Amino acid sequence: MSDLSNTPQTALTFVLDGETFGVDVARVEEIVDPLPMTRAPNADPFAPALVNVRGSIVPVVDLRHRLGMAAAEQRPSSRLLVLNVLVDGEPTRVALMADDVDAIVETTAAEIEAVPELGLRWPAKYFRGVARKNGVLVILLDEQTTFPPQAA
Amino acid sequence: MSNPSDTFAQEAEELLQSLEQSLLELEGAPGNATLVDAVFRALHTLKGSGDMFGFSALARFTHHFETAFDQVREGRARVSHELIAVALASRDHLAALLALGAEAVADAGIAAEGHALLARLNAVVEEQPAGAANVEARATRTWHIRFRPATNALRNGFRPDLLLAELAELGRLDWSCSDELVPAIEDLDASDCWLVWEMTLETSGSREAIDDVFLFLQDGEIDITAADEAPAEAETGDEPVTADKVEPQLETSAGPAAPKSDSVRVQSHRLDELMDQLGELVIAQARLRRISDELGDTTLGETAEEIERLVTGLRDATLSIRMLPISLVFGKFRRVVRDLSEELGKPAQLVTEGDETEVDKNVIDSLTEPLVHLIRNAIDHGIETPETRAAAGKPAAARVTLRARQAGGEVLISVTDNGGGLDADAIRRRAIERKLIAATDDLSEEALYQLIFEPGFSTAKALSSVSGRGVGMDAVRRVIEDLRGTVEVRSRTGIGTEVTLRLPLTLAIIDGLLVRVGEGSFVLPLASVEECVELPEDEEARQSGRSILRIRDQLVPFVALDTQFGFPPSDRKRRRVAIVSVEGRRVGLVVDDVLGQHQTVVKPLSAYHRGIEGLAGGTILGDGSVALILEVATLVRRAQSAPRIAA
Repeated sequence: MSDLSNTPQTALTFVLDGETFGVDVARVEEIVDPLPMTRAPNADPFAPALVNVRGSIVPVVDLRHRLGMAAAEQRPSSRLLVLNVLVDGEPTRVALMADDVDAIVETTAAEIEAVPELGLRWPAKYFRGVARKNGVLVILLDEQTTFPPQAA
Repeated sequence: MSNPSDTFAQEAEELLQSLEQSLLELEGAPGNATLVDAVFRALHTLKGSGDMFGFSALARFTHHFETAFDQVREGRARVSHELIAVALASRDHLAALLALGAEAVADAGIAAEGHALLARLNAVVEEQPAGAANVEARATRTWHIRFRPATNALRNGFRPDLLLAELAELGRLDWSCSDELVPAIEDLDASDCWLVWEMTLETSGSREAIDDVFLFLQDGEIDITAADEAPAEAETGDEPVTADKVEPQLETSAGPAAPKSDSVRVQSHRLDELMDQLGELVIAQARLRRISDELGDTTLGETAEEIERLVTGLRDATLSIRMLPISLVFGKFRRVVRDLSEELGKPAQLVTEGDETEVDKNVIDSLTEPLVHLIRNAIDHGIETPETRAAAGKPAAARVTLRARQAGGEVLISVTDNGGGLDADAIRRRAIERKLIAATDDLSEEALYQLIFEPGFSTAKALSSVSGRGVGMDAVRRVIEDLRGTVEVRSRTGIGTEVTLRLPLTLAIIDGLLVRVGEGSFVLPLASVEECVELPEDEEARQSGRSILRIRDQLVPFVALDTQFGFPPSDRKRRRVAIVSVEGRRVGLVVDDVLGQHQTVVKPLSAYHRGIEGLAGGTILGDGSVALILEVATLVRRAQSAPRIAA
């Protein structure tokens, strides 16, 4: 939250449980339709399954679980966001489950506000900030804290 | 391989390794002249090419090392324990110099170490006159040498004066130089070499010693023949032409040095790339086969089958390229054993068996560390003190045996010592103390031995005092399990201990058995599956109680994978049991269905799933879905420890 620069940041927004989240577009490799999932036995519920994305095995991450949202059925608008993130210091491709993929928005540092500690239902540490875009509150993910296997 | 000094470094490492090997063998056979020559030749090559590639500190030290060893070769010094010790230390010094790189200047510390070593080396060589000629005495022989350098030799830096000086070091040298081949002055390129040397050398050195001098001049014409051994005739042998005619080649075996090998060096990452490509090919082929099965077209089916056959052939050929003899690892341990037994005052001898057994390169790379652990443990904790051995009527020198062999799709590597064996009572006490088992637990000896691999079993010091083992044994097991292998221990009090590592032949592609549990497909390594049977319905009915199956009068415990995986209990009738072998015991794994054999390309899992016990990796099936590869040993261990936690 403290290291916000003045360069505009491009984020891809997606929807989970009716809320709009944003992820740094530079992290996004591709957006794919839901793929058949292989459940990993005894896995962390945050990474419950694996999918085959063009010949590589990619873990599926369930942000709903990490944010304490109720599990949801797959819907026609559901997509997988294939992201490149650091997991335990290792560049890793993950497939993030999203209810819908929205748009690409540009935010400048000035537009980004710190996360109000009491304003959100979820732990503030997962977010870099919030920005209001076209009347919608976009919650910007902090990739560093969101993706480690063990929730900090 | 663009950088010549890298190439040299690689060669030099091999030379240093063979030098170490020869020195260690020489210690056991001090009179063996062939070994002395081997040491000498390794040093000589190192010196020559070291200079060429700018490793001048290394070349200088090697020169002095070589000079000292020359005393041994000449029979003026004898091979002693002390000499081997200094020579080994000097070898290590060379390795340190090599690590500095080309054109590097050794710092004062290293330089001082070098001086000290050379001083010790010279002292050892001088104070130990051969006396009763320890090295096989060699009669002086006379050799005729005709040498015509390659025409471009002078341009390549050939120095006739140095060559003659080096030969003169071997003994008494007479030589003449003939210019009869030199062309007329108008046709002569002054930088060409047309001279021919005729030499007579009287030396006690071997034919190899002479060959060594010509080691870097192999593109010239070299003709070395032995004259009659009678000194009187040697005098007349000054006439080289007749000598050539009179004397047929006496030594046929010793051809010019540097034997040509028909192998090529390939950087290992290229092999890895090849393997990756092959992995993709195997997956694509599985897809092709599936599509062809679905379409049911005969022509397509035949083609798909042919491609499958070709891919299998290609797979085997590629895998065989990655196979290296285990001697590459075993060779390193003579030194470990020697140093340790010296340090601990426990005479011990290393015996290796099955050195030629081939293992995947990546497996070999990971094996050194666990084997060092096991050997250390064997000498440190397994082998008794000389006094105890004497009291037990055992020979003073203990033996550590490293054995490798292939069995089925696996490589078995064992470390055996003839020491005191594991102390089951001490292990039991220790395990209770560390809360690994309850005081009331009744465990078999085998089960007790397995406890030494538990993390936290050992905190070293306390343990040696109760003659247990376990220094880093959990680390050993972890490495072996990462390689999808298992560790077994057998021990008999007073007789010794044997630790056996079972490893898959290769890591990249395995033959697997595809099974279904719930919605998912899983792969069991075929090597660990012994048979598949049907789960009797009555067994199923009382599954909640005892999980033991009777197969041909043998009782086999079983675990249901759906329960293990936390999947909803299967309602399927007629389930199957895959009987696997874990640490020498048979255990059944209940699955919903057995789908068949599957050539499995192993893909690593991400940080999210790597740590899950019982998973060894993932693979992609012909229909594009992901299947998980199971690690049978950890899976079974996990299942068996579960009830204890629950209780």
